[in-house]
Formats: sequence, structure tokens, C-alpha cells
Amino acid sequence: MTSAVTIPRHGGTGGRTAVAARARQVVKAYGSGETRVVALDHVDVDIARGQFTAIMGPSGSGKSTLMHCLAGLDTVTGGQIYLDETEITGLKDKKLTRLRRDRIGFIFQAFNLLPTLNAIENITLPMDIAGRKPDKEWLTRVVETVGLADRLKHRPTQLSGGQQQRVAVARALAARPEIIFGDEPTGNLDSRAGAEVLGFLRRSVDELGQTIVMVTHDPVAASYADRVLYLADGRIVDEMFKPTAEAVLDRMKDFDARGRTS
Amino acid sequence: MTVMKTSMRNFLAHKGRMALSAVAVLLSVAFVCGTLVFTDTMSTTFDKLFAATSSDVTVSAKGASDSGETTADNGKPPVMPASVLGEVRKAQGVKSAEGAVFSTSVTVVDADKDNLSPSSGAPTIVGSWNANEARTMKITSGAAPKGADQIMVDADTADKHDLKLGDEIGVISAIGTHTAKISGIADFTVTNPGAAIFYVDTKTAQQTLVGESDVYTNVNVTAAAGVSDAQLKNNVTAELGGGYQVKTAKETADANQKDVEGFMNVMKYAMLGFAGIAFLVGIFLIINTFSMLVAQRTREIGLMRAIGSSRKQVNRSVLAEALLLGVVGSVLGVGAGVGLAVGLMKVMGTVGMELSTDDLTVAWTTPVVGLVLGVIVTVLAAYLPARRAGKISPMAALRDAGAPADAKAGWIRAAIGTVLTGTGGFALYLASAADKAKDGSLWLGLGIVLSLIGFVVIGPLLAGAVVRVLGAVLLRMFGPVGRMAERNALRNPRRTGATGAALMIGLALVACLSVVGSSMVASATDQLDKTVGTDFIIQSDRGQLITPQAVKAAKSAPHVERVTEYKLTQADFTTPDGKTLKDTAITAADPSYATDLRTETVAGKLPDAYKPDSMSVHEKFAEDHGISLGSKIKVAFKDGSAADLTVRAITSSDVVIDAGAMYTSISTVAKYVPADKMPLDALVFASAKEGQQDAAYKSLKSALHDYPQYIVRDQTDYKDALKDQIGQLLNMIYGLLALAIIVAILGVVNTLALSVVERTREIGLMRAIGLSRRQLRRMIRMESVVIALFGALLGLGLGMGWGATAQQLLALEGLGVLDIPWPTIIGVFIGSAFVGLFAALIPAFRAGRMNVLNAIATE
Repeated sequence: MTSAVTIPRHGGTGGRTAVAARARQVVKAYGSGETRVVALDHVDVDIARGQFTAIMGPSGSGKSTLMHCLAGLDTVTGGQIYLDETEITGLKDKKLTRLRRDRIGFIFQAFNLLPTLNAIENITLPMDIAGRKPDKEWLTRVVETVGLADRLKHRPTQLSGGQQQRVAVARALAARPEIIFGDEPTGNLDSRAGAEVLGFLRRSVDELGQTIVMVTHDPVAASYADRVLYLADGRIVDEMFKPTAEAVLDRMKDFDARGRTS
Repeated sequence: MTVMKTSMRNFLAHKGRMALSAVAVLLSVAFVCGTLVFTDTMSTTFDKLFAATSSDVTVSAKGASDSGETTADNGKPPVMPASVLGEVRKAQGVKSAEGAVFSTSVTVVDADKDNLSPSSGAPTIVGSWNANEARTMKITSGAAPKGADQIMVDADTADKHDLKLGDEIGVISAIGTHTAKISGIADFTVTNPGAAIFYVDTKTAQQTLVGESDVYTNVNVTAAAGVSDAQLKNNVTAELGGGYQVKTAKETADANQKDVEGFMNVMKYAMLGFAGIAFLVGIFLIINTFSMLVAQRTREIGLMRAIGSSRKQVNRSVLAEALLLGVVGSVLGVGAGVGLAVGLMKVMGTVGMELSTDDLTVAWTTPVVGLVLGVIVTVLAAYLPARRAGKISPMAALRDAGAPADAKAGWIRAAIGTVLTGTGGFALYLASAADKAKDGSLWLGLGIVLSLIGFVVIGPLLAGAVVRVLGAVLLRMFGPVGRMAERNALRNPRRTGATGAALMIGLALVACLSVVGSSMVASATDQLDKTVGTDFIIQSDRGQLITPQAVKAAKSAPHVERVTEYKLTQADFTTPDGKTLKDTAITAADPSYATDLRTETVAGKLPDAYKPDSMSVHEKFAEDHGISLGSKIKVAFKDGSAADLTVRAITSSDVVIDAGAMYTSISTVAKYVPADKMPLDALVFASAKEGQQDAAYKSLKSALHDYPQYIVRDQTDYKDALKDQIGQLLNMIYGLLALAIIVAILGVVNTLALSVVERTREIGLMRAIGLSRRQLRRMIRMESVVIALFGALLGLGLGMGWGATAQQLLALEGLGVLDIPWPTIIGVFIGSAFVGLFAALIPAFRAGRMNVLNAIATE
């Protein structure tokens, strides 16, 4: 199975299309000739609007690459990627940058914040860069949701790792992007801090209607999602709705076993 | 061994980051070596020239200078009777001897009365064509001069002025103007660095240069086979007795060499001084580079410490890298220095100083000095960062990389810096309050050095304050990008401080000199307005005296009310206190000089000093020697007899123009000095008839048209000329300071480039969340501008302080008016902003080109 196009194109939340982003026959290859490595092999995927999608897979499966391509951080070798109705494959740097700034939010595994800016400045940075005024009410709500109201003037070095990641989540939410991409956002946190951050992400989907795509290799993290996509060798090999940690873990073991026997 | 290996690998791995530091070392070393090679080459050229042109033994008149140059106050060369030649020929060991006449107190013009003298300041020589000259010159066209109407010219001058056989040439000497036609052109067989040389036959030389026949200025003697120069000299001296100067070829060459050496040394040490400033600036760059490399390598160094490297080893590995950098930079610098010297020679060629690359002289000391200097400076500069590297704890290996720990500038630094700056400021205050220029200059020097060091030390603290202010004024309008630029500049105040300080040094000197220079112009203008009561000043810009014929021409110009002659002479004074003062300068002028220059007196009236057998002295002289009005001074005039002169006026010490001059009238001097020994006028002043200034100006110009060596200036011209002169000097100094400023700019580029590398991840993050390339580049440019403006602000402030203090101090010497050249200061400030933009070009471009994903993934 290399396709995860299972959701109707229209209807659902948001009033616009029900699909926030989609990939069609996306190929990403490095090198050429004998050294050619295919990271993504004709992947089709739809990201449902207002849902929390997790992408899983073993190291080297292409899960991060897929996310980077969907987010407009990386270019593809072939195929198309759409953000809503906009085809982003083939966009020039200038337009891509603006697209990331205005329509996409990011949470990285580490080093999410600029050390020279304090928490609130970091949160409003994408809007500042764009020259937009943040929506005060929304900002307050986001800040309260992530529980940072009393730490807004702190510099990143004065915050714990969990707090830093919460600031990063707040930043991603504050600009109300169409879609938030997380690259193992809890990868550097202990289980409690991780649970906190994942809880916020879940709530932002449930309460704020946010669309989130998260790459992870942690079954517990994946269990917060509405849907889990499994990648292996650059292909989508499976998907699971309403996952639980145990079910995800079982499926992973399954893949591992199959990988070993095949 | 491992230490060396890691150093080597690190050096190679970071060669890009080292490149700018290497360039800084290279530039400084190149400047030092270039200067040395250039001056050595000049030396060689003159050596060859003098060695080639000196005859075995030269006899010259007693009054001639050591080198046989012949410039006397009366405009005629000192001569000896022709009979000397016969006596010399009688001496043992003489193969041949010939009498020669030459003079440098001449001006040579072409048919259009255009001056043919070299503009480089090299001499113009007119002399007799002798066998001695024929040794070093080859007649390339025409023939040697014969008879009064023929003259031969050297090929370089002929080329430069497009002179051809048959062209008319005028020789203007104190005797008069002699015209002749070019009979031949002769080329030097050695390099002639720029003198214009004209030959006539011996008889014509005697007539046109001395105005007498049967006299020689020199006798050139050639030794017979087997007779050494020294022997020949002894024989000739024995024959002639003590009345003449007798010199061997080597002595003549050495004396000549000494004459040019003074000029060359001034040039050499001035240029080395500027190279020193460049080195100083380069030190900041090197310190910054190594500090940043060490900071970036903190984790790696921590690991090395953790697995057992000692502090010393870490320390040494950084120093070893510095050593490599020093060697690479210096070796390239020595090479570039030779290139620079050749370039300089070409430049000098365009202004009339011909040097041949055949004479290019690279003394063995030159590369050694360059290498040693470059390596020592580099290693010393890297010492502090190396020590800091040694202090890194093994724990650093475990900590998260990135943020350098020394972001805070300690308060010890603040205390030291404040004390230094304060002491410097106090010394400057003492300098400005000093009532003796000599004491004050000491304080000034101390103040400059201390305040500079103080500023360098508190630079990081000042960076915080100044950058915030600059940020508030300039960057806020650029929104978040401006704010981030400001924060980035503030991030490591030590780095910003050192980068700015490098720029500060050069700009402080520029500001200081521009304040002093423009104060000089303003003060002189002020004094001219206050004291000068004449309309026109006639003088030669090369210090040539004014011939009687030219004075006569000026006097006969219509619309001119009066002409004042001004001569300088020397005399031995015997004052009432019984002391004898040898060779004291005394000014002989027409009585109208008292009106032309209104000099204040403290006793008596100045016009009285021009009465027969009267004089004036200046206040300090009167105090020192117990002189009052009516005192008599015995004045024994040079080349004349002694006179008892009565002091009828004492001039104030508080004058600027002609300070310290003592006056007497020309008619008084004429009573005691024979007419043919009377010095020529140094200056001539002319005043127009009431309301006829313009007409008089024109008529004076046309009256002196035949004498292009003299320039008529009205007061406006004079002020402009003064301004130009100071402006030119300043421009030259600015040009040399440009080297230091270029190194400082490299420093800004270096800091930015390394910062960009250091912030790769941050840049990646910002790009990922939507910072456009353009915004990113703008951010880096603004950071650069802020750093540059910080350096400029400090430098200009410091320099203006120095300049104002110097002016206060020099007010004692007549620099009464403080004039701050705001256009220059503001121009430099704005220019610095552009320097900042320029410095950020490449770092910004490189930051913009970074791949977002790779940048984020960077450790």
C-alpha cells in the first residue's frame, strides 16, 4: 500500500476542503546512478483538516523527509504536493518562505527558539516577520492553554526543556497556521514533559480545530493522534485510526518481524 | 606531536575562517616589507648614482656644503679662483683634473616660460659639461654644448616636457636670465631618480651662474694608475693647503647620501608607523578570530580535556594554530611587500621620481623582520584566547554546545577601563591646561594612549549602551528584523567591542588629525586677517630665493603702491649680558614691513627698529639676555662686518606669524655686508594702490610671468594655498590610515562571517518559520552597520577629544582657533554605515544561501 488517500476531498471541518495537504506520487531521491537512494517512492497521502496525524516508521523510512516535503522545507524529485489548493512543488524560495511564514507552523525536536528573544517574542516572531499584528485575544488563549502566562519575559536559557517546547507549540499555534508540522517534538523530553506537550497538541486539535502532522517513533506519542501512517523504505505501508499505544507498539513489532524475515 | 597534528588539522579545517586573519597579517607585513624594500631600493639608486657621478677626488670651495651642493643666500654658488686647477695639477698622482661650475639655485624655463623643474622636489641642476659628466651620460642626439647659445638637456626632462633639439631654454639665476637653444640630449647610464639637469660649456656656466670668469665651483680630479683616492686626496690637500674642501669619491657619495637620507628616513618611519597602526588593528581581528574559534570548539576542547589533555596542551594547540597562521600570513606578506614596493615605484614614477626595478633591493633583513613581526604579533594576539581555551573544563564536553559562556563583560573590566579612561581624560585635561607646550605634549601623549587603551577595555560595556541607543534610533524602524539585529550585536559585547575598537583606532586618528588640521587653517586665517596689512605675497613654493631681477619686475608693476623686501640672514650676536650667540637668525626688511605685518610690541614702536643702526628683539630674547629699549647688541653679520645695533622695539611673544623674529632694516644690513654677499629676498610683499587691487594683482602676475618659479598670491589665494597644503598632507595621512581602516573592515567581515557560521541553526530555524532571504540579509547587514557605527562613534568622539586637546595645547604656539570640521566628521560617520553595509555583503550572501534543512540539522 503506497497510498493513504482515504478521505473524501470535500466536506468536513473548516469550510474549505476537508484535506489540508496532499501528496501525489511524491518521489524524493538522493544521488544518481548506483548511489541513488530513494527516500520517498511514489507516495500518495492526504492530511485531513482538523485532525492529528502521526507519521511513524523506523529510522531511514523517509518519515522525516515526507514531513519536510509536505512542509515546503525540502524539494521533491517528482510528484506534487498541495497545501489546500496551492501546489507547493515548484514554488520559488520567496513564495515558499511566505507560505511557511503565513500558513504553516513548525515544532522541531530541539533548538526551537531564538536565544536572543524572550518567550513572548519568540511566540510572535512569525507574525512579526510578516509584519502582522497578533490577534490579542487568540494569543492570550494560546498562552494560557500552554500555561506560560508567568514566563513570557524569560529568555529560552531560563526555561526548562519542557517549557521551551511549550513555547515552541505556542509559537506554532499563535499564528493560526493551516497546518502544524512537528518533527519529534517530544523526542528530547522526559515522559512527563512529553505528555504535557502532547496534551496541548491534542487539545489544540480538539478545541481549536488545528490540523497537526507529527513525525515520531514513540508509540505513546503516536497514541495521541487520530490517525497513524506507517512508512517503510519510502512507502506508506499501513495506517491506523484511533490508535492506542499498545496497538501501535504491536503493529511496529509486526513490521520489525516482517522486516527481519523478508 | 598529537598537539601539532590537531593544530594542523584544525587550521586546515578552518582555513576559510582563518583567511581574513591571514589577510590582516599579510597586509601589515606587506606594508612593512614594502616600505623597507622601497626605501632600500631608493637608497641603492642614489648610491649608484652618487658613486657613478663622483670623481676620484673633488675639490670644492670652502663655503660649499658637505655634498658640494651650492646654494648660498646670495643665490650664487661659492667659488674658487681658476688658478686652483693649476695647483691641483701639480700634485702627485694626478692623472687629470678639470674645473667645473654648477649650481642648483636656478630655474629653467622653456620658450613659453613654463617651469621645467621637476615637480617631485628633486633638484634642478645647471652645470658645465665636463669629462666627469661624460663618464655617466651618453649623448643620444645632437652634440655637447659649445658657446653661449647652446645648452644640453637630460633625456628624462626632454621626454617629460617634449623638448627637441633647437628648442629655446631660459636659465634664470641670480645673475639674470640666459637663453640658449638645445644642442643635444644626453641620457644617464645609471638611474637618475628625477633631477632635471642642463649642461652648458664651462665659460657659459661661469657667466650665467656666477657672473665672473675664471672661477670654478669644483675641480674634479682623476687619479693616476696605482694611486688610491685617499692618497690622491692627501697629495691634493698638501698642494692646496687648508683653504678648500677636498673629498674622495666615497666621501662625496656618502655626503650626498646623507642629504637624501633625511628625507628617506622621514618617509620610512612615517610609513612604518602606519604599518604599526595596521598591526595594532590586526591584533583585534586575530583575537576575535581565535576567541570565536575557541568558543565554537568548546565541546571539542572539553572532550580533549575529558580524555586527558592538560590545560597546557590545549593552550599550546591554539598557539600552534596561531603560529601557523602567522607564518602563512607573513610569508605571503613578504611576497606582497615586494609587489607593493614595485607598485610604489611605479606610482613615484608618475610623480617624477624615476626608479628602476633593476635596482630593486631586498635586504636579507627585510623578510626576517616581516616574518618575525608577523609571527610574534599573531601569537601574542592569540595568547588570550588560547588561555581561555585552556580554562575550558572537561564538563564542557557534556554540556549543550553553542552559547559561549563569556557573554557578560565583568565588572573588573569595567573598573580597569574606567580608571584608565579617567586617568587618560585627566592627562588630556592637564595637557589642555598646560602653560608650557613641552610639558603639555607629554600629557597629551599619555592622555591619548591611556584613553585609547581605556576605551578598548571598556569597549564591550560601551557596546551595550551605544548599540542600544543606535538600535533605538536606527533599527527600530525596521521592526523585528532590526530588533534581532540589535540583539545579535549585543549578544557578545566583547566581540562587538573588539570589532568596533579596531575601527575606532583608525577613525580616532582621522578625527583627531582633521580637527587639528582644520584648526590650523582656521587659526592661520584668523591671524592673517588680524595682522597682515599687505595685499600680495610673492614667494617660491620650493623655498627658492627671489632674484633681484624679479624684485625689480614686481616693483615696476603698475597699480602697486609699495613693495616690501624681506630677507633672512644670520649673525653672531653679542648681547649686553656678555654672551655671544652664534648664527642667530635676523630678518632684514624694508621699513614698510611694520605696516605689512602688524606685530604687537611690548616696548617701543616697531617702525623705529627700521631706523639706521636699529633693530628689534622679541620678548623672550630680551628677558633672557637682559635687554631693554636702548640696549646695544653687537651684531657680526655673516659674510660682513660687525655693527652695534640699538634695540628700539621689543615684540610680543604672543604672535603667530613670524614668531620670534628680530627685525632690522635692509639699509642697515647693507652698510655692513658687501653688495655681492647680500642675501636675496626670501619673500616680497606688495600692496596695491587704494581701490586698484584687481588691477595690481593682474599687473604683478604679468610682471612676474617670466619667472614661473615665483607665485603671486593675494590673501584669498594665500589662505587657499594654506588650506590646500594642509588638505594634501591630511589626505596623504588618511591614505596611509586607509590600511588600518581596511584591516578593521576585514575585522567586521570576519566577525560577521564567523557569527553566521556560529548561528547556522538559528538562521535555519528563522528561515523555516518564514524569515525571507531578504530579511535575513537585511538583519545581518544591520548588525554590521550597528557594529561599524559603534566603532565610528567611539573613534570620532575620542579623536575629536584628542584633537580639541591638541588645539588647546597648541594654542600656546598660535593655534588659537578650534575648528571642528563637521562635514568631515559627519561624512566619516555616514561612511562608516556604508562600510558596515559593505562588510556584510559576503556574510549576508552566504547566510542567505544556506540550505534550511541542513542548517537546522547542524550540531
